[in-house]
Amino acid sequence: MKKVLAVLLALAMVFVLVACGGGETPAGGETESGAEGGVIKIAVAGPMTGDNAEYGIGFANAAKLVAEQVNAEGGVKVGDATYTVEIVEFDDKNESDEALTIAEQIVSTPDIYGVIGHFSSGVCMAAAPTYQDAQYINISPTSSHADYSSIGDYIFRNNTVITVETRTGAEIAINDLKGTSIGVLSIDTEWGQSAGNAMEENVKDLGGNLAIRQEVAATQTDFATEIANFRAQNVDVILVAGMYETLAPFALACDSSDYDVKLVGCSNAYTTSLIDIAGEAAEGIYAPVAFFAGNPDPDVQAYVKAYTDKYGAAPSALTTQAYDSTYILIEAIERAGSLDREAIKDAMFETNFDGMSGPTTFDEIGDAMKVFTKIMVKDGEFVVAEF
Amino acid sequence: METFIGAVINGLALGMAYALIAVGYSMVFGVLRLINFAHGSIYAFGAYMVYFFISIQVGLFWSIMIAIVLSGILAMLVDKLALEPLRKKQSIPIASLITTVGVSFIIQNGLALEQVFTSEKKGFPSLNLFPNIMIGNLTIQSSQIIMFAVALVLLAVLSYIVNKTKIGLSMRATEQNARAASLMGVNTNFVISFTFFLGGCSAAIAGTLISGYYQIISPTMGATIGLKAFAAAVVGGIGVLYGSVVGGLVVGVVECIAAQYLGSNVRDPMAFVILILILIIKPNGLFGKKGVSKV
Repeated sequence: MKKVLAVLLALAMVFVLVACGGGETPAGGETESGAEGGVIKIAVAGPMTGDNAEYGIGFANAAKLVAEQVNAEGGVKVGDATYTVEIVEFDDKNESDEALTIAEQIVSTPDIYGVIGHFSSGVCMAAAPTYQDAQYINISPTSSHADYSSIGDYIFRNNTVITVETRTGAEIAINDLKGTSIGVLSIDTEWGQSAGNAMEENVKDLGGNLAIRQEVAATQTDFATEIANFRAQNVDVILVAGMYETLAPFALACDSSDYDVKLVGCSNAYTTSLIDIAGEAAEGIYAPVAFFAGNPDPDVQAYVKAYTDKYGAAPSALTTQAYDSTYILIEAIERAGSLDREAIKDAMFETNFDGMSGPTTFDEIGDAMKVFTKIMVKDGEFVVAEF
Repeated sequence: METFIGAVINGLALGMAYALIAVGYSMVFGVLRLINFAHGSIYAFGAYMVYFFISIQVGLFWSIMIAIVLSGILAMLVDKLALEPLRKKQSIPIASLITTVGVSFIIQNGLALEQVFTSEKKGFPSLNLFPNIMIGNLTIQSSQIIMFAVALVLLAVLSYIVNKTKIGLSMRATEQNARAASLMGVNTNFVISFTFFLGGCSAAIAGTLISGYYQIISPTMGATIGLKAFAAAVVGGIGVLYGSVVGGLVVGVVECIAAQYLGSNVRDPMAFVILILILIIKPNGLFGKKGVSKV
């Protein structure tokens, strides 16, 4: 009985495999009639196992969704030929040694035309020189270290550095909320300090009136001192460089001491914990975000639906940056009109991609410049900001 | 000037709440000559109980009442289960001390369990029960007034219990000489349990007042504040009830003024700076009695 079952199961597996394979062939076969075609491979490298597996798997899911959509629409047209896209996954376990081995493996595969990945900055920076030497385009959807994209001209980042993010925050404060006296509240961690500095610079740069900066411990809950100081300077908009664990109690403290002030957070404010803790005091907190799943834009909604249907959960901001990265690479290949790596690299710098994580271009060192979506808390949920 | 007055008011309100915690240390030290380091975690436990009962739709008043009683019982249980067996075996005092530290970690991490309240911070209902008082740029929050007034009344009640009632007399007798008290017919075991119960109740009230002021709770909230209140108890002279009140107010006001003029980062260390300074000048604290060495 068991044997029969085993044989049946084996048959079922073979059938499923054939069915899957069969599913892909028509997508490639149906495409153009004239050209010889072929396959363009794109590598996705990230942690597929271990502590950070959700990020690597998110990268792979996003890239596979792109490949499916591109192939269904007829594939990639390069000059006269049409190619199908194939995603190859590599598990770097978020370790530098592993990433180096994988990078060697990737650059010795000639039909891979780009690498989406590596998750942590350190791992990205370990692998990037290999890609640079072999002229393989590398786009990291997550790396945040300032020096990463300067490693070479084939190294790109589709993640924004803090100066870009806080610029949108400063714009909200000065242009949208018309703040006449602007305060900065930052937490005393490395991130908090650099974000706070970036906020100060951006406010000055936009011609705003920077009144006072206050630094607090990351775990602080008593803000009486800070509120008194902000109040003394008649501050009407405060930029907060802190996690929701600082922003939420600070909003509560402002609210319960009747201090009428508008708060603008960073993209990490976009979490339901903020609303859970701060409740009504969270109303009217603003934040700039790269990707907002609740964006009513039909393209974004179509993407969120496609992703959710396929993988059972809504995509995160980082996953979305991987999704956009894959499209950016494919688009650059199409614009280059050839599979010459240098031509693709040059096309990458001319990117002007209207992605799910905002309109994206690259600067001269390959850092993404994005337009952030402005969101706010209204009636207990995040919505696109109204001013 | 307004910011200075604001800092003093904030300090007085917080200081009263510190005093409420500090008397718990002081009373237990009085009867047992033991520093109960589990006290800070009972403070957090009290706040979490209020949060829990409110979340299951028990009204604010009854939630606070139930939480106070439960925290008193927990403090009593800590003594019955962990400390009394050690006393019976006449183990060295340091064993009891490290046990209270251990219990504090057990309670704190118990609250932080994924299945219990998780380690994430939670929102807590506001105790701004009536409108704030505004004088120019200075705001006195109603929760600050409530915190000050409630703590003041409770400290008066505690002082009445200790000084004017029969159980208070037993407490004082046990404090002076436990063996002689028990020979005179004082049930010292009951007195010790009662002392822990009172300490637990006042910690829970302080936990509710401070959480209602900040409107946020976390399982580790009792760690720093517990140590500060302990410092306040020592500053005032441990074992002396009104000493804890003065100690609490001194710590509260000085830390708020220091935070205002030197930055928030000096707030937490300030309590201990005061502690060291005062102990250098008066080794037994402001109102402390000279230690009697028993032969």
